[in-house]
Amino acid sequence: MTRAMAMIEITDLRKSFGANEVLKGVSFAVERGEVVVVLGPSGSGKSTLLRCINLLEDWQAGDIRIDSETVGYFDGGGRRRAWPEARAAKVREQVGIVFQSFNLFPHRTALENVMMGPLHVRRIAKPQARALAAGLLEKVGLGDKADQYPATLSGGQQQRVAIARALAMQPKVMLFDEVTSALDPELVGEVLIVMRRLAEEGMTMVIVTHEIPFARDVGDRIIFMDAGAIVEQGPPAQVLASPSSARLKLFLRRYQGDYLAV
Amino acid sequence: MVNVLVTNLPYLLRGALVTLWLAVIVVTVGTLLGTGLGVLATGRSRILRMAITVYIFVLRGIPVLVVMFLGYYAFPALGVRVNAYVAVGVAQIVYVGAFTAEIVRSAILSVHPGQVAAAKSLGMRRAAILREVLLPQATRIAIPPLVNNALTAVKQTSYASVVGAWELTYAAREIVERTLASFQIFLGVMAIYFIICYPLALLARWYEKRLAVSH
Amino acid sequence: MTDYLAQTAVLLGSLWPKLVDGFLITVAIAAAAAPLALVFGLVLLAPRMDARAFISGPTVAFIELMRNTPLLVQIYLIYFGLPVLGLYPSEFACGVAGIALQHGAFLVETYRGAIESVGARQWDAARAIGMGRFTAFRTVIMPQALIKILGPLGNQLIVLAKDTSLVSAIGVMELTMTGKLAIERSAASAEVFVTIALFYLAMTTAIGGAMRLIEYRVAGRS
Repeated sequence: MTRAMAMIEITDLRKSFGANEVLKGVSFAVERGEVVVVLGPSGSGKSTLLRCINLLEDWQAGDIRIDSETVGYFDGGGRRRAWPEARAAKVREQVGIVFQSFNLFPHRTALENVMMGPLHVRRIAKPQARALAAGLLEKVGLGDKADQYPATLSGGQQQRVAIARALAMQPKVMLFDEVTSALDPELVGEVLIVMRRLAEEGMTMVIVTHEIPFARDVGDRIIFMDAGAIVEQGPPAQVLASPSSARLKLFLRRYQGDYLAV
Repeated sequence: MVNVLVTNLPYLLRGALVTLWLAVIVVTVGTLLGTGLGVLATGRSRILRMAITVYIFVLRGIPVLVVMFLGYYAFPALGVRVNAYVAVGVAQIVYVGAFTAEIVRSAILSVHPGQVAAAKSLGMRRAAILREVLLPQATRIAIPPLVNNALTAVKQTSYASVVGAWELTYAAREIVERTLASFQIFLGVMAIYFIICYPLALLARWYEKRLAVSH
Repeated sequence: MTDYLAQTAVLLGSLWPKLVDGFLITVAIAAAAAPLALVFGLVLLAPRMDARAFISGPTVAFIELMRNTPLLVQIYLIYFGLPVLGLYPSEFACGVAGIALQHGAFLVETYRGAIESVGARQWDAARAIGMGRFTAFRTVIMPQALIKILGPLGNQLIVLAKDTSLVSAIGVMELTMTGKLAIERSAASAEVFVTIALFYLAMTTAIGGAMRLIEYRVAGRS
């Protein structure tokens, strides 16, 4: 694995919401096929980081490169200028994201949700789009729910439809923003199973989650963020079993039974 | 006693027809205009958004009667001669357009932002997002207030009589000034307006209930 | 161009006192009608929400009649109708009455919506700590309903202020009527009405601003 082949390269990313600096110079890379899990307390900037990668947020300084292309901003006559929306949209076709609140289109069936991207962005003909969508729904275990509306599906089912919808664009990278945090505990497993299968198939994934055992099993690397900066990173076995920073130790204590830890 | 009303009913019904004509044109064109402006008001051009906000603010702050007078006197001032109906009609269209724009804009903005985030993340562009995600959801929200808006517009066509355009209320006043049978005639006219407007009120309420149930 | 501006300025200057007078009458009509409408709405509220159909039925019928017919026609009915009964109230009184009746009918629905939207859970919470129905209403439901009313109430007041223009149809010398008369005597009709529009805009903006201020302070305290 040579450096130049990294799928995502983030260099010194800085982002503020007004006066509040949320990302304070974050740098890391994600190799092709690597599964990176981002852990951290709320407010640490994890979601914002993901939303920057797929250009849903702007950022004030730093670079993001996806598959060797610098995205989001260009040099316009010596000044840093934002990409026009059309160019950003093209990059978003290659970066899939699944949200904590699913965000399925309520006025469309599960199948139609998955068809949205292929039909209206990739401009595939309807029969092919339908076949592609049906196949993906099968893959996430919801082939029989194709004609159901999101309101009739459970949280876990909706989230799996959301994953299928993102996959329909055949992205190079999949981002997962706390996708099981809003689910009832017994529905979490069905979503994690789909995610693990994706990882085994070699998808490049950046996963923000609180599911520590999942992170240990599926992650190639753990990144721990706190207050807008990366505090520690490394292979799961090492980082989770013997954390070196005090903040990570504290964070892990809470998730390993000591729920009153402060 | 009721005879006065019955004798003059044909005349009043002719007036009602004019009222209906006016109402249909004003509501249709005004709603189309307002919808277009409402969509533009959620777009990316800041100048356009501000201009439409000003337009809405001004028109919602002045009485429709004054807008009608403005319409009536503005055309000749610009050297264009139009009849009272066109002047009043255009004025009311502009007025209905402002209220419609505000309704449509609110409805679009009230769609959950996660919907737009999801659509953008699939690579969808603004036109597709509007067409496939925002407008289908916003329309359902907007229909009850839009129907109420139409109801108000129908009632406001009666103000055209003050500016001098002949419609149902003008006809009613003519008859009352001639026969002095104010109760019979005006109550009769109120009944006619009621027959036109009440179904709209029921429609708005029915649709509102439908919306509440499915959420 | 400067010629035009100069002429317009002179014209408006001479009209100004009359316009101000008209504006004051407009404000007077609104100031008289608004409290009457608020009270009338309250008066109708109990019968409207009564469980017995022979009480709520006619009330609903009256409210629907008021809401689905033009205010102008209602004002004409009062102005041309009362003399038949031997009553001769002033144009001003007829206008105020008409406006108060219509807006009162609209306000009943606003009041009702606010009370019903406070919701069953609040009633449950109040009764659960042992409050009687009236105390619960007075200390828990009503304060919350009052806050919810402020928004729609503000909008209703703005509409009321604009509706005062209709009494020009029966000859009251408020702002719009002043404009009509002024035009008959001069040629600058559009300019006069633009000025009148600005007067109304100032009034409705002031009302809107005042209501938002009140909402802000009330919401802040709770």
